[in-house]
Amino acid sequence: MKKYEAVIILNPNLSSKVDTFLKDFEKLLGESSFNIIKVEDIGRRQLSYSINNHNKGHYLIFNIEGDSIKLIDIENKIKYNESIIRHLFIAVKEHSGEDSQLLIDSKNKSSESDDDKGKFAKEKVNTEKIKEPVKEEIEEKSVQADEGDKKDE
Amino acid sequence: MSKYDVPKKFDYKNINLLKQFITETGKIIPARVTGISASNQRKVTRYIKIARFLALIPYTDMHK
Repeated sequence: MKKYEAVIILNPNLSSKVDTFLKDFEKLLGESSFNIIKVEDIGRRQLSYSINNHNKGHYLIFNIEGDSIKLIDIENKIKYNESIIRHLFIAVKEHSGEDSQLLIDSKNKSSESDDDKGKFAKEKVNTEKIKEPVKEEIEEKSVQADEGDKKDE
Repeated sequence: MSKYDVPKKFDYKNINLLKQFITETGKIIPARVTGISASNQRKVTRYIKIARFLALIPYTDMHK
């Protein structure tokens, strides 16, 4: 069993059919005996560059765990699904268990779309929040950033 | 002296953090300029490349 993070960018025109896609995808994962630990529906986002002539995409992030061999089968099935414009599976050592920064940002944006000043302030708060939970994360061996700094001095 | 607040864990989803390490044209800023440790620089580089693939940050400012 390995832990994976799956990012799927859906065709923005099918945004309304996300629920049916989620059901299908969860069924597909279930057939391959994958456990779904968490699903994040980030919603429509502006893409930094156009993919297949789409300027927006509907982002979904899954925290899953399962066998690596079966992941290949899933990827093969996903490849020819035209509602997916991009997908990525990343192996992780540990799932963070917390909401990703993308989800937090999208929530902030939807709650206050026109008030720029408030948004700026919230972003600052967010970056502070990220630093705290860092201790539990074991994705990478903890690196002492301080060492590099001392050498410079 | 580092002018960046470098967290212990990097993430390709934390765009605001990664954007500090790219230029206006989208290039990754070299380690000799950022001044962060070599291993942190490698992580930043890796996650910038993932974020680019997912269209979270641009490869360049020349995209149509």
